[in-house]
Amino acid sequence: MSIEEQYRTRAKELLSGGAVKMVIGYGKGTTASRRRPLFISSPDDVERLVLDDACITNLSGYLVSEGLLSDEKRVAVFLRPEGIRAVNILAAESQLDAEQIVIFGFDVSGTEVRALKGIHVEEFSDVIGSIKEGAPEASEEELFEKIEKMSPQERFSFWQEEFAKCIKCYACRQACPMCYCRRCIVDSNQPQWVNTSSHSLGNFEWNIVRAFHLSGRCVECGNCDRACPVNIPLRLINHRMAEEVLGAFDHFAGMSKTQEPVLASFKKDDSETFIL
Amino acid sequence: MTKILFSDKLDKCVERWKSAGFTVIGPVQRANISTYAAVEHAAELEFGLILPDRSIKDLFFPQSEPMLRYTIKKESIDTDECLPPVGPRIIFGARPCDASGMAIDDPLFGWDYKDEYWFQRRNESVIVTIACTKADDFCMCTSLKMAPDSCKGSDILLRPLAGNKGWQVEELTDRGREAFKTIADLLQESSEQAAPIAVVEKKFDLDACVAWLQNPEHFESRFWKEISMRCIGCASCTYLCPTCHCFDIQDEGDTYTGIRRKNWDSCSFALFTMHTSGHNPRSTQSARWRQRIMHKFNYFPGKFSVNSCSGCGRCSRQCPVDMGITETLQEISKLSL
Repeated sequence: MSIEEQYRTRAKELLSGGAVKMVIGYGKGTTASRRRPLFISSPDDVERLVLDDACITNLSGYLVSEGLLSDEKRVAVFLRPEGIRAVNILAAESQLDAEQIVIFGFDVSGTEVRALKGIHVEEFSDVIGSIKEGAPEASEEELFEKIEKMSPQERFSFWQEEFAKCIKCYACRQACPMCYCRRCIVDSNQPQWVNTSSHSLGNFEWNIVRAFHLSGRCVECGNCDRACPVNIPLRLINHRMAEEVLGAFDHFAGMSKTQEPVLASFKKDDSETFIL
Repeated sequence: MTKILFSDKLDKCVERWKSAGFTVIGPVQRANISTYAAVEHAAELEFGLILPDRSIKDLFFPQSEPMLRYTIKKESIDTDECLPPVGPRIIFGARPCDASGMAIDDPLFGWDYKDEYWFQRRNESVIVTIACTKADDFCMCTSLKMAPDSCKGSDILLRPLAGNKGWQVEELTDRGREAFKTIADLLQESSEQAAPIAVVEKKFDLDACVAWLQNPEHFESRFWKEISMRCIGCASCTYLCPTCHCFDIQDEGDTYTGIRRKNWDSCSFALFTMHTSGHNPRSTQSARWRQRIMHKFNYFPGKFSVNSCSGCGRCSRQCPVDMGITETLQEISKLSL
């Protein structure tokens, strides 16, 4: 049986028995190569679930949709390792109760899809651990290397040109499972803390605020990068910040549901004399 | 015999227009994104795109625009109005859906108040549209009763000849004719045939959709929740849309001096209709998506007798979760059977 079939069967069992109230997975999209998030609540609809190498979107953000988990019922969700890490962070940051989340884990290498064993988030710690061990020191991307070699002025110009394309549609924020704030700082308008204008300064403000807010929290699922309608290579910023955090604090985001948030915790014996 | 502009003459045309005082703007591929932008030479223009990622709207209604600078003094307020710094421009190589999008928005911007930012730019622009010979899965102009060679909103329509050799020229407006006078000697009479226009499959029955939307019983339909469940509430669809026109006016500055700006806003955002009290009449994403569809196909045509959609398909093409107007109207078409 293919993984797709196995997971459909499991989804049917869970929904029929009432073990979960909903399965969040992938369905066919507009074109042959597209998949779209799909919400299944009836066991009769499980045939609509698709699982293949085009299932890229990290669906964990839907778990914190307002009201979804407030009835304490369980929800199942299709997740790749990055998505599982995101669930750990959401649990660690008290955004959800991991007990309510049933995971349909999978990973993709090339065109091959393989199932990840486990149901609850803590059962995937080996998978996540091996990602941490296997994480390359630098991104394998050419562009990343190129930016690293730039002088600060050149790098500034590079990002200036990229951010000039930003239209502040906030697709990066909305697609990000870590951007769960009910009211983002840029939407706080009494008073308006951050200018809404999408001009050079405004675009810089937004992208820098986001980069710092995600440091030590981003799981590099790539949702923001793919969502960006103007193709700003946001993944590079996040990757750079993740490297910094790993180097400075040996912190790999989303290792467990009890992992302390690296930039929101303080130890008495910290070598720094103050915190930001 | 028709008037033909051969591709190898285009650079001369660009030169000619520039010396006549026009800024020449067209589709370009820069920094990993395609847009309409000013060019110096014809070689910079990218004619191979189905349509640019960014719509032509940016040229008439920019994402952020200064309206006035102000200084608050003890007994008076000094203001200095900012008007768009435009001169005559030729937009060469617009797509029919983009050009018609501007015509769709004209009545909106000229309704009870004449938006001078919009009309100054409109009046100074000559839109030279190239009919489409290619389309993708997201193009839907024909579903909107338009076509890959629609003239709406264009001053000149060009029909590509086979083999990228050039274009048949159809002069549609006086503004277009005037601009093309400057290159009259570069055009040739020829019997070259135009390449066939793109085939764009009709995806939904617009009249049936509009009738369904106009039925007040459908306002509270469960359909809205189901269709928009995966919407993440970003503004990608509205900001790339050639006809979405909502904006917000914001003052930026300190207590005494600042600048008043007109910025794009989107009905996708939770903040869009949030009252000062904190109450939001469109408190859910499904209510916001319903508003977008209702506005485009019910309220806007109710007021201006034209749908607020030109069928470019950007909303669906770029949606991070593969939603869009096409799917919604396809589903409504099914409901109205």
